[in-house]
Amino acid sequence: MATLTEPTPTKNVIPPSTHPFADIIHRLEAGGSMLPDTPENLKQIIGIYKAYAVPMDFYWRDLLYIAERVFLDPLPAFKYFLPQSYLDLPNHYAGDTADLRIWRGEAEAHPELLEFMEKGELGKKLPKIFHHLWHDRVNMEFAEACKQAMLWHQGMGGRFNDYLYTDEYKANCDQAIAAYFKGNPLMLTLHKHFPDLFYEKCRDLSYYSNLGLFWEVMAPVFFEMSDIYDEGGFKGVPDAMDFLVNGIFAVAGRPIYHHVYVGDECFELVPKSKAFTWLYEAALPYVEAVFYRTAPFRGTKSYNAQAHEVPGDQKDFHYGILYADVFPVGSAGIPPTLLMQDMMHFLPDYLRDYYDDYCRGDDDVLIQLGITFQRSMYNVTSAVIQALRTALLYPLDDPNPEHRLANRQFFEAQMDRFLRPEARLRDIQSQDYR
Amino acid sequence: MLSALIWIPIAGAIAIFLLPLTGAKAKSAAIAVATVPLLWSIYLFTQFDLGNAGFQFHEFLPWLTALGLNYDLSMDGLSLLMVGLNALLTLVAIGSTAQDTKRPRLFYGLLLLVSGGIAGAFLAQNLLLFFLLYEIELVPLYLLIAIWGGDDKRSYSAMKFLIYTALSGALMLAGFLGTVWFSNASDFTYSAVMGQSLPLQWQLGLMVLLLVAFAIKVPLVPFHTWLPDTYVSASTPVAIMLGGVLAKLGTYGLFRFCLGIFPDAWALASPYLAIWATVSVLYGAITAIAQKDIKRMVAYSSIGHMGYVLLGGAAMTDLALTGAVSQMVSHGLILALLFNLVGIVETKVGTRELDVLNGLMNPVRGLPLVSALLVLGGMASAGIPGLVGFITEFLVFQGSYRVYGIQTLLCVLGSGLTSVYFVILLNRTCFGKLDNKIAYFPKVTFSENLPAIALAALVLFLGIQPNWLVRWGEPTATDMIAALPATPPTLTGSVELADLPPAPPLP
Amino acid sequence: MATIVDIAVNTEGFSTLVAAVQAAGLVETLQTPGPFTVFAPNDDAFAKLPPGTVQTLVQNPPQLARILTFHVVAGKYTQAELLEMGQIDSIEGAPIPVRTGLNNTFEVKNATVLAADIEAENGIIHVLDNVILMG
Repeated sequence: MATLTEPTPTKNVIPPSTHPFADIIHRLEAGGSMLPDTPENLKQIIGIYKAYAVPMDFYWRDLLYIAERVFLDPLPAFKYFLPQSYLDLPNHYAGDTADLRIWRGEAEAHPELLEFMEKGELGKKLPKIFHHLWHDRVNMEFAEACKQAMLWHQGMGGRFNDYLYTDEYKANCDQAIAAYFKGNPLMLTLHKHFPDLFYEKCRDLSYYSNLGLFWEVMAPVFFEMSDIYDEGGFKGVPDAMDFLVNGIFAVAGRPIYHHVYVGDECFELVPKSKAFTWLYEAALPYVEAVFYRTAPFRGTKSYNAQAHEVPGDQKDFHYGILYADVFPVGSAGIPPTLLMQDMMHFLPDYLRDYYDDYCRGDDDVLIQLGITFQRSMYNVTSAVIQALRTALLYPLDDPNPEHRLANRQFFEAQMDRFLRPEARLRDIQSQDYR
Repeated sequence: MLSALIWIPIAGAIAIFLLPLTGAKAKSAAIAVATVPLLWSIYLFTQFDLGNAGFQFHEFLPWLTALGLNYDLSMDGLSLLMVGLNALLTLVAIGSTAQDTKRPRLFYGLLLLVSGGIAGAFLAQNLLLFFLLYEIELVPLYLLIAIWGGDDKRSYSAMKFLIYTALSGALMLAGFLGTVWFSNASDFTYSAVMGQSLPLQWQLGLMVLLLVAFAIKVPLVPFHTWLPDTYVSASTPVAIMLGGVLAKLGTYGLFRFCLGIFPDAWALASPYLAIWATVSVLYGAITAIAQKDIKRMVAYSSIGHMGYVLLGGAAMTDLALTGAVSQMVSHGLILALLFNLVGIVETKVGTRELDVLNGLMNPVRGLPLVSALLVLGGMASAGIPGLVGFITEFLVFQGSYRVYGIQTLLCVLGSGLTSVYFVILLNRTCFGKLDNKIAYFPKVTFSENLPAIALAALVLFLGIQPNWLVRWGEPTATDMIAALPATPPTLTGSVELADLPPAPPLP
Repeated sequence: MATIVDIAVNTEGFSTLVAAVQAAGLVETLQTPGPFTVFAPNDDAFAKLPPGTVQTLVQNPPQLARILTFHVVAGKYTQAELLEMGQIDSIEGAPIPVRTGLNNTFEVKNATVLAADIEAENGIIHVLDNVILMG
């Protein structure tokens, strides 16, 4: 098997693009990323991948914990209190027990995460409840917001969402609900008379599981990228992108499922045998929902839907990180400061020093790293675009002009999404955007 | 005792001219020099005898006795407040100076010269000495505007300022000379009611000369046209000195020399003065609303607010005059605060245009503290209760309403219009969404913020404890009002009090 | 006549496909009378996939089966018939576009048919140079 590295096309078999983003399209056609290939960009995105991977290691574990164990708890006050068993839960794609050992990370929770969970930003070991109430913890609210975006935008490809409305799924839910609320006549009666209430809640939880399983893969990928960079492994931004493309293919077939545990009993709300895959049912909907769409974030800028400040059609939503105004007061489809805060705790030193040299240093580090994050997500999106091109279209050096034209049209269609003024694609072309 | 207030800044100025100091060190030295008169003024506040409404701390040195010019200093409550304001704002102005100012030694030296001269003018008990010090300010100020001015029009503005103020000086000199000649005074020594012996027509004529002279300085409409250009062209510290202190020389002159020397004429003219004040207030406020440049807006607001001072004087009640005297201080503090903040905004953001500024309240990339203080300054200027602007304006209105009801109400309307333009200013400048494309402003350091913080604290403190401000001017104001004729004199002198209808009872 | 599976097993260059079909448990299905039209990627086609892709799929038979059934169409369709239809639904559910490419090549989605119309007892096989994927 050959590692996927893109040779540069030798000659132009089709005329240059006339798209407003022609430069970027030509770069993509040459195997590049939407993010310009500069050492500064490479340093930024790799550093932020690492800072993202640590809280992500918590996110995926807690998402699965909520989906599998907390389940329908009507008062889930402690859903962010991750039990040890979930901290020890071996990652399916890292550690010695991995299904596929192509990334070197350990199977258990990352040591930096454990250290942070213990001492928090305060640097003091206090009972967990104090760290929690002081909000000195990993901001699971961010992960839940991403999940919410996926739930809300629903039908974005894949068959996951369709399945959640089948009788089969409802029957699975009935079993789990009956077991979970055993000896609780109130809830059982409620379910009997208003079944859609808990079905909808189950769908919500199935998306928890979906996103948890998606991130379970991304965390070791990002850790591995950071390690490779530290060893001097990446030559440029396209290398980092190709690594992601390979990663996407490697785990494309990982099953997406939702299991619920009541005591020792396992209920398969979404069984593995439904053949939902990581690529089609998790990754692509995730990118669409979180990177592109999400929802207008209620920051200090408010939107008036009656005045059509919010698109009438969900597919026209454009509040994701690729469009986000990273200023905390601006718009961003995810509670942006929560993630920035999480990432700030785990910045590698080289990135911390880098931010100190620009703008207001430590004072606006959240914005600076937020914009770095935006850059890095443009690179991830580039990887997704290249992966889709690899999977559905043709090699970049395909000598057949028809094929090259098909690739061109695909790239142009993708870039069309960044024509709207909110898109930050233009901004990230310059290093001065920070 | 009082000489220190004049000669320490001047000696400091000379020392700074001569010593080879570079930027930051020159600034520190200037701050050190300026701190001494401030501390000294505070000491004078503690020593000032509130029970004595007259002049205190007398100092006399014969100088050119043949000319009637003597070095004659003294202070009453009005001078005390002005001297204190001058000392404070000098320090603020130096503190507001950019670290990288060109030719720093010359700049700080000139600034201190101005400060020393102004202190002298406020203390002078000799008309000629006052005139000399008043005129002598022009040179350093002209240089300060022409050399360190902030825009391309600075030479034009400096020249305009020079011409207007020189004209003001000429009128003043004419007024003083006339007063002394016609009243057969032996020299130029100031004494209250020295003009009273003159026929009313003469008094009126002389007073009008002085009135116009000081109206230019204040300035009052229609003698204000130099102000927007000058304030806007001047750099922040110079604008603070101009608006905060020098404008007060105008109102100080109005009270000291017009009201003080010609009480009868003042009483006669007062209804017209009240109308004049109202026109100034409304003109300043309405023009400010139309501005697109925040510094210009603040400059026009100054015209409006100085109008309240004249209204307070015109009303001729001790309450109103106390308010007017206090308003001089409060206006000085608030204007200095606003100019300082506008200066910071301009330095950091690089523009003063309302159409460009936006979202500075942004906590991370904006100028949140500056914005917050700007809100406070705007509120103080608009007369929001709890801030010093409210107290002083309220005193003026309260004192003048019973005398000039309609004029007062129109001035209250002007106060309302102040809110309008400050809401416009704050809404555009501080609120809204900060534009990412331009939002790479440098951080505002604590030392840059310090002058504004100190002023804001004072504005707030004096708003809550107005007595700390009002009590100094009150005896003097009461004394001045007592010197006024109980009935407005008339040129024909035929109307007696008994012929007038009784004043309507207050509600 | 041999079934589709027999042909794949006995033809050189389809060992990955055969292993995959076995892992996915589709052998029996493809031995039923059908008939089926199978787009069969050869070993080179599988080799083009980045590392780990096939391994992950083989570990997860339902998911592997889904990818494989995207290569299978119910009914027996020759190249000519397919080109006339332009598009046909796979057993997986997603449609497969079919067209004539430059120089009269027979193109199935983003793959080119290397050998078309290989008749089997229970269907027909078209050999692809790429693994095709849904979407």
